[in-house]
Amino acid sequence: MSYAPRPVAVVNSAQTLFKPSWADRQHVDLISEAVTGVLKGTGLRIDDVDFVIDSGSDFLDGRSISNCGFLGAMGAHHKEESRVEEDGLWALSYAMNKIASGSASVGLVVAYAKPSELDARSFWCTLLEPFTQRPVGLDHLSAAGLYAHRYLTAAGLKPKDLEVVARHAWEAAVRNPNVDLDEVPSAEPFWHERVASPLHGSDFARPVDGAVAVLLAAADVADQITTRPVRLTGHGSAIDQHFLAAREADALPACAAAARMALGTARATAFDIAEVSATSTVGELMVLEALGLAPRHKALDLYDGGGATAVNPSGGALPADPIMATGLARFHEAAARLAGRSGFAAGEARTALVHGTGGFAMQNHCVVTMEVAA
Amino acid sequence: MTTMATRIQMPYTLTPGEATGVFLAELGRRRLIGSRHGDRILVPAQDFDGSTGEPAEGFVELAPAGRLEAFTVTAQGVLGLVLVDGADVPFLHRIVGFAEADLTIGARVAAVWADEPTGSVLDLAGFGPAGDGPGFKPRIAPDGLAQPFEQVEYTMTLDYQHSYGHYYGTLFDAVRTDRRLRGVKCSQCRRTLLPPRARCDVCFAPTAEWVDVEAVGVVQACSVVHIEFIGQRLKPPYVYAELVLDGTSTRLIHMVGGIDPAEARTAVAPGSRVRAVWSDRRTGSLADIDYFELIPGEPS
Ligand SMILES: [Zn+2]
Repeated sequence: MSYAPRPVAVVNSAQTLFKPSWADRQHVDLISEAVTGVLKGTGLRIDDVDFVIDSGSDFLDGRSISNCGFLGAMGAHHKEESRVEEDGLWALSYAMNKIASGSASVGLVVAYAKPSELDARSFWCTLLEPFTQRPVGLDHLSAAGLYAHRYLTAAGLKPKDLEVVARHAWEAAVRNPNVDLDEVPSAEPFWHERVASPLHGSDFARPVDGAVAVLLAAADVADQITTRPVRLTGHGSAIDQHFLAAREADALPACAAAARMALGTARATAFDIAEVSATSTVGELMVLEALGLAPRHKALDLYDGGGATAVNPSGGALPADPIMATGLARFHEAAARLAGRSGFAAGEARTALVHGTGGFAMQNHCVVTMEVAA
Repeated sequence: MTTMATRIQMPYTLTPGEATGVFLAELGRRRLIGSRHGDRILVPAQDFDGSTGEPAEGFVELAPAGRLEAFTVTAQGVLGLVLVDGADVPFLHRIVGFAEADLTIGARVAAVWADEPTGSVLDLAGFGPAGDGPGFKPRIAPDGLAQPFEQVEYTMTLDYQHSYGHYYGTLFDAVRTDRRLRGVKCSQCRRTLLPPRARCDVCFAPTAEWVDVEAVGVVQACSVVHIEFIGQRLKPPYVYAELVLDGTSTRLIHMVGGIDPAEARTAVAPGSRVRAVWSDRRTGSLADIDYFELIPGEPS
């Protein structure tokens, strides 16, 4: 007996505006806006959705099993619903598998976060092993600083060299209507005040509030709905060991493993768009190298604009990091461009590589690939 | 009302396991204990090598000195990765006593011990400047090892600022100023939902109009709570009840009070008619209702 997975395609994707604080809206308000948006224009109604997989963090939400309170806003009443305490890109892989296996045809993926309700530092520290790492004061900032110190030393770079990474990200985000940002920050402290040496404020991801929703379907269903269907072609994920000190000094082997699983024999450089997540500039460089988009310690060269792959045309995660939804936001940005949806400059892009990360100091990685159906 | 400040404070007794338990206990004796996994030595001692999965074959004492491999300076101080002499994986800890200009990769460092041990990893205060003094190779700890800590007390505290949004904000404003409960009607199924929300949970249709809900209803289910737990507002025993307020389709969890605890089990039952007893507090939350009481002369 042979088993051939069913092709899976993107029907639509949508998000709320990402902004540092949606102080006048609850999680459910953001979630229902994204879900309403993803159904709009597809001809599908919530009753046509077979199952919902969502992503969020109980710690961030400040309540346990927080999805229980958000079911109505996700349109998941009396549907099969499951929640992933990981970035939304993992939720998307599970939905993809479920449709590929033939057990359902239409799946809704939802990811959301309101990091403005809890300070990001507290959230990241809850992920830490509490005996030897948490008490010494390790947090997401100092962890990125330690990676950066070793990366810059090994690559022969200076802290100032990282400004090109931040500039690329923030300038792209200014052009991105999905991000609440009018101009690239110009304040002196943002660019020059030390946060965790060798990193400055501009080297860190800015937490934002928001929600993202993606509608997936079996390809034959999606083909009837969309004029330029986008097929999912691969996915993979991997987790590094937890102890930061024991991980590789200046590389992300778990990210490379996730990419190997997703890409198979394909090469990352063959993709038109790469939308990747990171919590710092150095993190973004290490991700690009682990994915195979640049040789080790050479990812900075990708920012001169000459590469075949457009890196983070959305601006990526640095200007807008809705913590649990960041990878799914990358997916939305890439899928919308491939599908040529209005408001997204698509160019000739036909293929995209999407990356999400989670865990303390980018311990976990997920990679998804897609292409416009021939 | 726009936001609500809340704190989640959870007491834990954490179990460190053997390797971490021994490591922490030995810090109080000013000794650095690592674990041996094949030809690799890890410090802090671990039950399993995170890279290879190899279990610990035994514990060794390491000289409390090493070299600085990387560091980061933050507003809270300096953290660094110290490769302890004889170890194969760096140890992440505080770096203390250095002038910033003297912090360099490769600097020799030695343990700085806390004056008084308190039973945490901070019994080792950090690593400070050191010379090339004589150390020793990883060795079997003389005089045996301390008993591992079995439990470590820990409290996690998280502070939130939750947004009410338009719907809860409108309800709680009305509760605070007018002692009035406000729900919304679903545009599709026409049911009245309390608390109010943008979309009906069942239909996923937008809600349409505001309706006032009287703080009077019927008990759908109830339970007498006898045990004490964190976060309780009333002292047990009290009756916890699922109420359906007149005209609504949603259930409200609240308490039924004003009854003799001894009679609670028989006095309140599904079908009992109840009404709100408002407190003198005006916080703008459903806790402004002290409890619901049985309505005299109506089914109970
Ligand atoms: Zn309804």
